[in-house]
Amino acid sequence: MIGELLVVARIAGRACAFGALDVRSVIEIGTVTPIPRAPAWIAGIAALRSQALTVIDCRRAIGLAGGAGEAAWPTDHRAIVVSEGGHSYALLVDMIEDITTAASEAGQVPGGFGAEWSRIASGMVETMAGPALLVDLSALLAGPEGLSREIETAA
Amino acid sequence: MDDLLADFIAETREMLEASGGELVAWEADPTDRARLDAIFRFVHTVKGNCGFFDFPRLASLSHAAEDALADCRAGRREPDQRLVTAVLAIIDRIAAMVDAIEAKEPFPEGGDEDLIAGLDVSRETPENPALEGVCEGSGPPLHAPASALLGSGEEQAPAGRRSDSAAAAVAAATAQRTIRLPVELLDRVMSGVSDMVLARNDLAHRLRQAGTQPTIDGPFERLTTILSDVRDAITRMRMQRIETLFAALPRMVRDLSAELGKQVMIDLDGGDVELDREMIETIRDPITHLIRNAIDHGIESPSARLAAGKREIGLLSIAARQSGNTISIVISDDGRGLDEERIAAKAVATGLITEAERAAMPREKLLNLIFEPGFSTAETVSNVSGRGVGLDVVRQNLEKVGGSIAVKSQPGEATLFRLQIPLTLSIIAGLTVEIAGQRFAIPQSYVEEIVQASSQALDFTRLGETALVTFRGNRVPCLMLGEVLGLASESTPAEPTLVMLRLASGDLFALAVEGIHGHGDIVVKPLAPAVMRTGLYAGSTLLDDGQPVLLLDVANIAAQANLMAETRGRVFKPLAQAEAAAEPAARAMLFTDFAGRRAAVRLELVQRIETAPASAIDRSAGRPRVVIDGMILPLVGLPDTPLAQSKLRLLRLSDGACDLLYAVREVEDAVELADTLRPVPEDPFAEGITLVAGQPVTLIDAHALFAAHGEAPLPANRPRAVLPEGDWARSILAPLVAAAGYEIVAPAEAGPDALGILFEDVYEAAEALGRPLPPRVIRLRDQPEAPPASGTIYRYDREGLLAALVAARKGGAA
Repeated sequence: MIGELLVVARIAGRACAFGALDVRSVIEIGTVTPIPRAPAWIAGIAALRSQALTVIDCRRAIGLAGGAGEAAWPTDHRAIVVSEGGHSYALLVDMIEDITTAASEAGQVPGGFGAEWSRIASGMVETMAGPALLVDLSALLAGPEGLSREIETAA
Repeated sequence: MDDLLADFIAETREMLEASGGELVAWEADPTDRARLDAIFRFVHTVKGNCGFFDFPRLASLSHAAEDALADCRAGRREPDQRLVTAVLAIIDRIAAMVDAIEAKEPFPEGGDEDLIAGLDVSRETPENPALEGVCEGSGPPLHAPASALLGSGEEQAPAGRRSDSAAAAVAAATAQRTIRLPVELLDRVMSGVSDMVLARNDLAHRLRQAGTQPTIDGPFERLTTILSDVRDAITRMRMQRIETLFAALPRMVRDLSAELGKQVMIDLDGGDVELDREMIETIRDPITHLIRNAIDHGIESPSARLAAGKREIGLLSIAARQSGNTISIVISDDGRGLDEERIAAKAVATGLITEAERAAMPREKLLNLIFEPGFSTAETVSNVSGRGVGLDVVRQNLEKVGGSIAVKSQPGEATLFRLQIPLTLSIIAGLTVEIAGQRFAIPQSYVEEIVQASSQALDFTRLGETALVTFRGNRVPCLMLGEVLGLASESTPAEPTLVMLRLASGDLFALAVEGIHGHGDIVVKPLAPAVMRTGLYAGSTLLDDGQPVLLLDVANIAAQANLMAETRGRVFKPLAQAEAAAEPAARAMLFTDFAGRRAAVRLELVQRIETAPASAIDRSAGRPRVVIDGMILPLVGLPDTPLAQSKLRLLRLSDGACDLLYAVREVEDAVELADTLRPVPEDPFAEGITLVAGQPVTLIDAHALFAAHGEAPLPANRPRAVLPEGDWARSILAPLVAAAGYEIVAPAEAGPDALGILFEDVYEAAEALGRPLPPRVIRLRDQPEAPPASGTIYRYDREGLLAALVAARKGGAA
C-alpha cells in the first residue's frame, strides 16, 4: 500500500482516495442524460467519446441525503472515470484535489467513520496531502441500497 | 520467421477446427466427395507448410494421411470406420504437435509410426495408377507413397514441392482468406470510427452554419459516404456466424458417443445466425457442457433405445435463432428425459426445497431446479459430464452476460434446453422515440406499426389506471411511455403517436410516445447492473450526434405491466356498432397545390410521397412526365409558370393499374374526412368540398383524374414483339412498334405469346421448311400493291401496320 499512487478527491467536503490503478481518466462531464426510474444515486448516462458512462452521484451513492451538504460543497463538474465489472462509470465528486502517494497502510480509526461512510471505505490512509478515506469501489457502486440488500440476502 | 511460424500455427488451428466436422460428416457419407476434398486439402496444406519449416514428423504424418485420402479420392480404397479413426488420430497428433510447437516444448518421441501404420496404406500400390488417379482430382500432388519417404530426412522431392505450392495456391484461392486480430484492437478501431462519425457530425453542423461552400461540400459528402462504409464494415467485423462454434460440435459428439458406446446423430441448424465474437466465446463452454450432459445422461444406449421402441441412433439437435434482440439456442435430444421424481428426491435431500414445497411444485418448475447450485443427479460420476461442474455454473455463465436458460422435458421422450442470449454489443435496428424531451430507442423487431391519429379515431379509453385503444378492430392495451418511465408529460395529447409492439408471445400492445425521432442501426452496449435492475432498459447506445440513448426492454416493460398473457388472453373486440361508428371516417392526404388551394386526396390512393428534382420533368410531349425509378409517369398539378424551386414534392397515386404523380407545393398531413362532402359541379376534378379543422378543403375526384391522365407505367407487362433482322427493322420499324406499346425482344427471349413480325419471303420459307413460327404474326411485303388474297402489309403502310399491331395486341390480351 505504501507508495501506491492515489487520486484524492473530495466528496461532500471529505477527502477520499481512489487507487490510481482503478482510475482510467478524469473528465470534464458534459450533458448527463437522466435515466428515469433508476435509483437517485445514478445521475444518468453520459458519452465519453464513443463510450457510454454511467454517471454516479457519489454523495447519494454513499447514502448522504442531499439537504444541507448540497449547497455547502460546490462542485467543479469533473468526474473520475473508473471501470468495474466491465462497465465504465463516471464518479461525480466535489473536486479532484491531488494525485499523491500513500504514506501508510489503510487502517481503521476508533469509532469508525459513520454507517454510510464505513460501508464504502476500506479504511483511512495517510497520504502526502493528509489523511483520506480509501474508497472501496465495488461497495460505492453497489449504491446505498446495497447495504439493505446484503442484510436481506443474509436473512 | 517467428511471424511465419505464428501464421502457420494459427492457420493450422483454424483448419483443424473446421476439418473435425468435415471428417465426421464424411464418415457418415463416404461418397461425399466435397468433404473428402476438404480434409485432403487440410492435410495437404499442413504438409506443404511443413516444407518451409523443419518439422519432419509433422510432414510425415500429414503425408501419410494425405496418401490414404488420395487413395480414397482416386477410388482405390473405400473410406471405412477404421480409416476415419486413423485419420482422426493423425489430425489429433498434428494438433498436439502444433500446440507443442507454439509452446516451444519438445514433443515426446515415437508413436508416429503406429499412427501411420493404422492408416494401412497399401505398400503394394503401384505408383503409376496413383499418379493418374490423383491427377483426376483437383490438386496435382506428385509424391511417392508414404512408406517410401518414412524416415528419410528429405521429405519432399523437388518435383513434389513445386506442384505442392501450386496446389496450395489453388486451395488458397478457393478458401476465404482470414487473419487473426486481438478483439481489443477491433474495439479500438470501432470506437475510433465512432468518434470519427461524431466529429463528422460536428463538422457538418458547422458547415451548415457557414452556408453553402461548393469547394468544401463536395469532398465532405465523399468523406461522409466513405465513413459510413467504413463504419458498416467495422461493425460487421465484430460479428461472427455461430457456425464457428458449431463446426467443432460434430467431432465432439462423435468422440463422446464412441467413448460412451452410444450412437448419436447431430443436427445443426441456424449456423448463419450472427453473434458478437465475444458472446460466441462466452457460450462455448455452456453449450459444450449441455451437449456432454445430453449424450451422457440423456441419450440411452442403443439396446435401451431399441427396447423403448426408439431408433437405435439418438438424435441431438442444436438450433440457433435470432428473435428480436436475443438469440435463442435450443439443444434438444430424444433421450430418456428428465426424471421428475429423482430430481425432487434429490432437491429435498439436499435441502433445496421442503416436502411441502415439492408437493405444490409444478413439473416445469421442479425440473428447473437442476440449475440450482450444488445439484447433480448423476449417480455415477463419469469422466464425461460429472466433473463437479454442474448446470448451476452453466446458468451462472449465461446470466453473467444477461442470458438465461430453461429446461423442458417429456419423460422417456425428450429433453430440451433453451438458452436465451442477448445481443449485447451487437447491432440491432432501432426506432428512436421521444418523450418529455428525452429520447429512447426501441428494438425495431418489436415494432409492428406506427400509428398517428386522433384519440377519437383510436377510440382511446381509460379504464381505471389502464388505457385501451382500438387498433384494426381490436382493443389493445396502451401504455403511456411517460407514465412507465415516471416522466412528466402533458396528459394524453390530442394526437398521440402510438408504437404498436408485438411481443414474442404474440401479444400486441401500444406504447404512446410524443414523437418518432428516427430509426437506424444502433450499437447496443451493456448497462451497469444497477441500471439494469430497473428492468426497463436493455442497454444503451449512442446516437449519431453523440447523445447517449437508453434502449427500452420492451418484453420486460410489458411483463411489469402484466401485459404478457400467461395463456393466450381473449382479444377484446369493441361492439359492432362502435366499430360501425368508427368505420366511415375516410382518411385523406391533405396538401396545398400549386394554385395555393388546399386540397386532399383519398389516402388509399396515395402510394407514397416522392421527391424529384425539377430537372426530371419532361414537358416535351404535350403533357408533362417524370421518370421515377426507371418508370415514366404522367404528372398533373404543375403550374403553367416555370417552377421556382429546384425540388418537387409529388404524390404518387395509383388506382391499382395506373400510376400518376400529383405535384404539390406542400404535403401537410393525413387527416380524417369527418365532415360532409358538398359537391362542386363546376370543377370536373373535384369530388367535393369538405371542412377539415374548420378550413375548406377540395377533395380530388380520383375517378376523373385517372380517366383523364392515368396511364399504365410503361415497362409493366408490355406485349413483346420480335422484329425481322436488319438495319431497316432496327432503325425504322422498331420505333413504330415500340410506340404501339410493344417491347422489342431478341428472338431467343421471345415467349410463346410474342408477336412475330416477318418479311413475307422469310415467312414462306419457314413455312415451307416446317420451322416453328410464332402463333401471331404480321407479314410484311416490299411492294406497295398487294397480291390478291394475301395477309401481308406493305412495309410503309403506317395505318395498316398500326391497325395490325393494335389488333394483335388485343388478340394477345384476350
